[in-house]
Amino acid sequence: MNLLLNTSTSLIFLFTVSVCTAQIKNAQTESVKIYGNCGMCETTIENAGNLKKSAQVDWNKDTKMATLTYDTSKTNRAEILKRIALAGYDSDQFLAPDDVYTKLPKCCQYDRVNKTATIQSEPKAPHAMEHHPTTHEKEQGTNQLKMVFDNYFSIKDALIQSDQKLASSGAEELRSTINAVKMEKLATDEHTVWMKVMRSLKANTDLIATSSSIEKQRQAFMILSSNMYDLMKVSQQTAPVYYQHCPMYNDGKGANWLSKENAIKNPYYGEKMLSCGKTTETIK
Amino acid sequence: MEKSKVIFNSSLLIVLLLLATTTAFAQKVIRYDLYVKDTVVNFTGKNKRAIAVNGQIPMPTLVFTEGDTAEIYVHNQLKETTSLHWHGLFLPNKEDGVPNLTQMPIEPNTTHIYRFPIIQSGTHWYHSHSGLQEQIGMYGNLILLKKGSDPSFRKGIDDLPSIPIVLSEWTDLDPKNVHRMLHSGNDWASIKKNTTQSYAEAIKQGYFQVKLKNEWKRMLAMDVSDVYYDKILMNGRPNTDLIAIDDKLLKAGDKVRLRISNGGASSYFWLTYAGGKITVVASDGNDVTPIEVDRLIIAVSETYDIIVTIPAENTAFEFLATTEDRTNSASLFIGKGIKQLKSPQPRLKYFEGMKMMNGMMKMNGDLDDMGMQMSLNKMDMNVVMYPEITGALKKKNRDKKDDTKMTMKHSDRSENQYNSNALSDIITLNYALLKSTTKTTIPADSPIRELRFTLTGNMNRYVWSLDNKVISEADKILVKKGEYIKIILYNNSMMRHPMHLHGHDFRILNGQNDYAPLKNVIDIMPMETDTIVFNANVEGDWFFHCHILYHMMSGMGRVFTYENQAPNPLIPNPQLAQRKLFADDRKFHFMADNDFASNGNDGLAMFQNTRWSMGTEWRLGYNDMHGYETETHIGRYIGKMQWLMPFIGFDWRYRKMGIDEQEKNLFGQINKKDNRSAVSLGVVYTLPMLVNFQAEVYHDAIVRLSLTRKDIPISKRMRAGFMLNTDKEYMAELRYIINKNIGVRTHYDSDMGFGVGLSLNY
Repeated sequence: MNLLLNTSTSLIFLFTVSVCTAQIKNAQTESVKIYGNCGMCETTIENAGNLKKSAQVDWNKDTKMATLTYDTSKTNRAEILKRIALAGYDSDQFLAPDDVYTKLPKCCQYDRVNKTATIQSEPKAPHAMEHHPTTHEKEQGTNQLKMVFDNYFSIKDALIQSDQKLASSGAEELRSTINAVKMEKLATDEHTVWMKVMRSLKANTDLIATSSSIEKQRQAFMILSSNMYDLMKVSQQTAPVYYQHCPMYNDGKGANWLSKENAIKNPYYGEKMLSCGKTTETIK
Repeated sequence: MEKSKVIFNSSLLIVLLLLATTTAFAQKVIRYDLYVKDTVVNFTGKNKRAIAVNGQIPMPTLVFTEGDTAEIYVHNQLKETTSLHWHGLFLPNKEDGVPNLTQMPIEPNTTHIYRFPIIQSGTHWYHSHSGLQEQIGMYGNLILLKKGSDPSFRKGIDDLPSIPIVLSEWTDLDPKNVHRMLHSGNDWASIKKNTTQSYAEAIKQGYFQVKLKNEWKRMLAMDVSDVYYDKILMNGRPNTDLIAIDDKLLKAGDKVRLRISNGGASSYFWLTYAGGKITVVASDGNDVTPIEVDRLIIAVSETYDIIVTIPAENTAFEFLATTEDRTNSASLFIGKGIKQLKSPQPRLKYFEGMKMMNGMMKMNGDLDDMGMQMSLNKMDMNVVMYPEITGALKKKNRDKKDDTKMTMKHSDRSENQYNSNALSDIITLNYALLKSTTKTTIPADSPIRELRFTLTGNMNRYVWSLDNKVISEADKILVKKGEYIKIILYNNSMMRHPMHLHGHDFRILNGQNDYAPLKNVIDIMPMETDTIVFNANVEGDWFFHCHILYHMMSGMGRVFTYENQAPNPLIPNPQLAQRKLFADDRKFHFMADNDFASNGNDGLAMFQNTRWSMGTEWRLGYNDMHGYETETHIGRYIGKMQWLMPFIGFDWRYRKMGIDEQEKNLFGQINKKDNRSAVSLGVVYTLPMLVNFQAEVYHDAIVRLSLTRKDIPISKRMRAGFMLNTDKEYMAELRYIINKNIGVRTHYDSDMGFGVGLSLNY
C-alpha cells in the first residue's frame, strides 16, 4: 500500500513536471548559476525569468543553481538571464544594475562575487605625490575624512530621493569608514574636532543605519549634518562645499545640510519640496 | 644609355613633384561606389522588404579627411527612383541630394555621381531624401576626420579610439502604410505601445477628470511619439558587443569616443551608460567644450560625439539607446567580460502628461506657456511623466493634503517644476550647456534679417506646417548672399520638432555669447522659442524642414533660395520639379472601413489630404425594410486646428417603412425615406469632447442636424460611438479591436435594428 502511495505520488509529481514543461515547445533545459540568498530571492528570480509559454525558471537557494527550460524558437538563455539581472540578480553572463541591487531587501543582498571593483580614475595623482612625503601624509589624513564626507553625501542623496534603504546602507558604509579612521594621521585641528564630534557622529550614523523610518533617519541626519559641518570647516576641501538651510524642518526651527552642489535639493522633505531652502555659506 | 637615364631622372622628378603637390594640398580624391538594391530582411521572424546599399544596412560608413574630394557613384538598382543627402555637409547646392529641388531623382538602372570637396570635419551621416526610403535602410555614417595638423585638433579627444554608430528603428509595417495610418487616425500604434489612455485606465489610476478635460479640449491621447517600432538598431543590430577597436582590445581605464547619429525616421533616443558619466564633446559635427552629463536625448537627425570610460576589468558596460516613449531600446556592450547592465528607463506616466497638456492648451487650440518663456530644452514639460525625476506613480490620495499645503508655502517651486536638472541628481544635457570651442561671433555691422516662424500642427488629422502653411502652400524664402538670417522659431504644436537646415550651420543663441554653439539641427519642444542665426554664404535652393520623416512628408518645411542665383544645371525643368516636390504634401491618403454585420453593412471610404476631404458613407441593409443609403461629402478643412469643414454633399437612400417609421423630422419637415436623392450644402464642426456637429440644407430646403462621436476609448481595445440626428435617427456602437485591420462590432441602428458583425478597416 505504502509502495503504491509512493509510486502514485511520484507519478503525480512526474505528471506535474511534464505539464509544466509541456506548455513549452521546442524545450531545451539547462542549468546555470544565479547569485542570490533566500526564499524571497527565489520568488523574484523565478518571476523575472518566467515567460508564459516560452521560459520557465526553477532556482534552488541552496545550490544557487537555476534550471532554465525554454522554447529555443522563441527565446534564449541570454534573454532570460538579462531579465533576471534587471530584477537585481547577477549571473555569470550579466551583472544587475547597481541601483536595482541596492533596492533589494536586505536579506537578499547577496555577495557580488562577479563584480570587479572600479579602478581609480586619477592614477596620476598619488604618483606625483611620492616625492613629497609630508604632503603625502597630510593628503592621506584629508583623504580619510574625504571618504567620511563622501559617505555623508551619499546618505544625503538617498534622503533627497526619500529612499530609506539606500540611506541605511549608506550609513553602514559611513560607520565602517569612521571606524577605519586613523586619528594619529589627522592634522591637529582636525584631530581636535574629530574627538569632539566622534561620539555623536557614531551614534547618529548607527541610528540611520538601523532605523526603518525615514523620518527618524532625517532627524539623525540633522545632527549628523552639524557634526559634519564642524569637521568640514577645519578640513581642507578640494572642491567647494555648500552649507544649506531649510527654514521649515524641525517644527519650523530649521535645519542645515551640506552639499557639493549649489543648487538646492532638500534632503529633509525630498520630492515634496525639493527646491526649498538656500545656501548660507560656502566652505572652500 | 645616357639619354634614357636623363629621361628616367626627369620622370622621377616629375613624379616626385606630383607627390609633393598632392601632399601639400592633400587633393586626394576618395571614391566610393554605392549599389542601391532591394533586399529582404528578417528582424522579427518575418521576412520584410528593405533597401540595402552594397548589401548592407546601414549603408557603408564613408570616411573622408578634411581637404579630400569626395566622389560618390550611386548606382540605382531599385525599381524606383532614389537620392542621397549628405546631412550636415557644406557643399555646392547641386550635390545636396534633395530630389526635385537640387537634382532630379536618380532613375532606376542609372548612375549618378556626387562630387564635392570636403571643407569641414566632424560626425555626420547620410540618407535617402526620396519618399520613405530612409525608414527601410537608407541611412549611414559619414565621418569627416580632422587633419593631424589642424589647430583645432584636441589631444585626448580627437586621438581616442572611436567608432561611428548610426541609430535607427525598424517596423514590420510598410512605411507607406504607417504614413497612411497616421493620417487616418488609426490608433493601433498606441495599443501596441499600451498608451491608449482610455477611460477605464484613467478611472483606475484616478485620472477620470483629467481625461474628461482632455477630451473637452478636443485632444486625443497624448504621446511623445507616433509610430510603434519592432526593433531599435545601432549600426543595424539591436545588440552589439564592442570588444576591440581597430583590433586593439579594450581594457579597464580606456576611453572610447562614440560618434552617434540619429538616423531614425521618427524616434528620439535617450542615451545612458552603465559605466558612469557621459562626456559630450561635439554636436552636429561641431566641437563643444567637454561637458559631463548622466544622460542626453538625441533628436531625430542630430549627431553627438561622446566619450565614455570603461571603469573596471573583465566587464562590458552597457550603453543604452532607449526610444523617448521608452517602449524599446538597443544596447552596445563596451569592453570584454561579464555584462554590466544599465537600468531601463521607467515607463512614462501618461496621465500626468495629459494633465500637464490640459493646463497648457487653450480652448482655441493654441498653447499657453503661462509666461514661462521656455527655450533650449531646459524646461522639459515631459518631466512630469518621468518617474526617475518626479517619482513613481502615486497611490490615489496619498499625502494629498500634505502636498498642497507644502506647495503653497513654497511657491518658489513652480519656477523649477519642469527643470529636470534642478529637480533631481540626474544631469540631463540641454542646449544651454553646449559651448563652442571657438568664437562664433558674427562680424560687427553685418546685415541681419529677422524671420519668424510658428511651428503649427494638428495631431487629429496629422497635418504639420509652418505658420499653418505646408511646403506646397508657401513661397520660397528669398535671401541675399552674404547676409545673416536670424530665425525665431516658436513651437505652437503639441509635438517636438527637430528642425534641420541644409548646407549651412547656424548659431543657437543660448546664452554662451561669443561661444554660441554651431549646429544644423535644433529640437524645439512644445511652447519653446529658440533663436538661430546663419550666414547665407552658398547659393542654391536649401531645404529647411522638420526631420521627422512623416512630418516632412506632410509638408512641414520651407525652401531658402538666393536672389539672382544661377540656374541649377541638374534641374532642366524647374516647373516640373516643383510640381513633383509639392506632390509629397498634396498626396491624398485613402482609408476605408466596413462592418459586415448581421443587419447589414456599415462603412465608409475617404480620400483626404492636408485641406481636402472626399468621403462616402454607406449603410446597406439586406432587405428593403432595412433600406440602403449612402452619403457623399466633399469638403475643405478650415483653420489651423481644422475643426471646421464646409462641404457639399449628395445623399441617396431607399427604404420601405418597417420598424421605427420616421418621415417627419424635428422641424416638422417631411423627409421621404424611400428612394430619395438629394444634394446638400453643409458644415461639420468638431465640438468639445470631440463630437462632430453636422448641419446641412438639402436642395428641397430640408434641414438636417446631427451629432456624431466615434472611437470613444472605453478601455485599451474597446471603442464606443454614437450618432443622432433631427430625422429622429440614431445609432450606438461598441467595437473591440482585434488587430490593426480587424475588429468585432455590435451596434443598434434606428433603421436597421440590432446587429453584430466583423468590422474591417484599411
